[in-house]
Amino acid sequence: MKARLAFISIFIMFVFALPANAGGKGELQKYFSDVANKVKATENASEKRKILNESFQSMSKTLDKVQSLWLISEDDRVGIERLKATLKEKQDELEGSNGFEQVSDAQLNAFSNYVVQDMEQADQMITISLVTLLLIIILIVLLV
Amino acid sequence: MGNHSSFDLRNLCGRSVSYSMLLMSVGLAACTMFLSSCSSGLPVQLESQKFEKDTVKYSILFIIHGDGDYLYHDTIGNEYKADEVALAGAKRVAQQNPYAEMFIFHQRPGRNFLLFFPLRDGEFYYYRNGRLIANEMYWRDQKQSNFDSEVELYRRFRANNQHDLINVFLYYGHEIPEFGGVGYDASYPDRTFTIHDLASGLNGFARDSTRFDLTVLSTCFGGTPYTIGALGSFTRTIIASPDNLHLSYFDLHPLERLDFSLRDGDVPAFAKRFAQQVYDRLTKDIQTAVSVAVYDVDRVQEFLLSVHKFYDNTLTTLKGKTQNSLATIEHCDCAELPAYILPIMNEGVDVFYRPSHFGRSKNKQSHSGWECWKY
Repeated sequence: MKARLAFISIFIMFVFALPANAGGKGELQKYFSDVANKVKATENASEKRKILNESFQSMSKTLDKVQSLWLISEDDRVGIERLKATLKEKQDELEGSNGFEQVSDAQLNAFSNYVVQDMEQADQMITISLVTLLLIIILIVLLV
Repeated sequence: MGNHSSFDLRNLCGRSVSYSMLLMSVGLAACTMFLSSCSSGLPVQLESQKFEKDTVKYSILFIIHGDGDYLYHDTIGNEYKADEVALAGAKRVAQQNPYAEMFIFHQRPGRNFLLFFPLRDGEFYYYRNGRLIANEMYWRDQKQSNFDSEVELYRRFRANNQHDLINVFLYYGHEIPEFGGVGYDASYPDRTFTIHDLASGLNGFARDSTRFDLTVLSTCFGGTPYTIGALGSFTRTIIASPDNLHLSYFDLHPLERLDFSLRDGDVPAFAKRFAQQVYDRLTKDIQTAVSVAVYDVDRVQEFLLSVHKFYDNTLTTLKGKTQNSLATIEHCDCAELPAYILPIMNEGVDVFYRPSHFGRSKNKQSHSGWECWKY
């Protein structure tokens, strides 16, 4: 039994030794990359719009939920607010509201790439802690 | 009954022995991994160093920051780690340059072995004449980030005739903050890293040498008056992205075979060709804004001196703001701010710019090459 416990402990240590930043923002990017793949795999333009719109809505709802949790730090709340604003702009552009020209049917594939790439700039825009990012990922998986 | 009991006992003992052996095996494997992680990857080949020094004409120093979120996807959904892609590109450049020496420093995320034992978080490669001469793991600076470890390795291996070489410095990573800078390294969340620290590092590398001939800063928002001013003390020509830059970074292919592409030694002309190729490559796949600018450091000095006071005041104001209020402050083209619109603004700057295909700035048709703060 002791040997088994020791073996399990060593295994857990290996798992914990993985770099902490292996998840987090990367998972968030993967979510939008998967959305882009779905958009590009669909022929119908209104279906493409629906996929994009639903992804923005699901993510915004998730962000609202995480933001309202008591354990979220003030810095993370600011980071989430900023991410929500970024997503809202993209949703507005997709719909053609709030001063944006609507994304045309022919541009929907390119727009889905833009959403992914905008999250993948070499800046440090998303200043949300790993724990909060993981919470967002868990909730988005549960909600979708 | 007695026989049955003794059979059970033997069986139990046998299982216990198996677990012990398994545990010992795992322990042994773990120790081997730990010990091997502490050793150099490749022993230093001093003999190769001796006989090929004379054939080195180009010296390339490359720092790849990989200690953060560096994941990106291509348009078919494949995942890439930006630092690993840059490392592969750097190795290719090193192998394709028979008349160059190349130092590659890969700053990796800090990891612990068995939870408690930290592993070295930097990997160094030294190539000369297209061949790998040394490869070793090293400890990055544990306190202030001044590239002390990198400078030490650089001095240990570099060719003696630095003054006769064309010296190139490259930095690939996230936007380097102009102030604050806490958390730049994910493994050192309390440590700061700013442009000032990068400039200190450059000072260390170039201490008894002339300025670098070319610096390539592949980060977001690298083309600010402060950044170009700070790095300009140690380099003659700078290539940077004044606006956002996608993590697929500046393509490294133009650095291959410098003996052909830089045969005439005209670094400013090469820098423009490099920027054009980088721009062409980025605009092919990227929907967000693409901006690549080449700064002739001596020719931009007059503009930098003219705007120095304004920009310094901005940084002083921003330093006094809280983290929350900083989150709402954005970068902008300096040409949008009247204080920076001077007749000499475009002097010494060549800009390759294409606006984002979507978003608020999609109709912005040009960029001055200088990035400022809007607050």
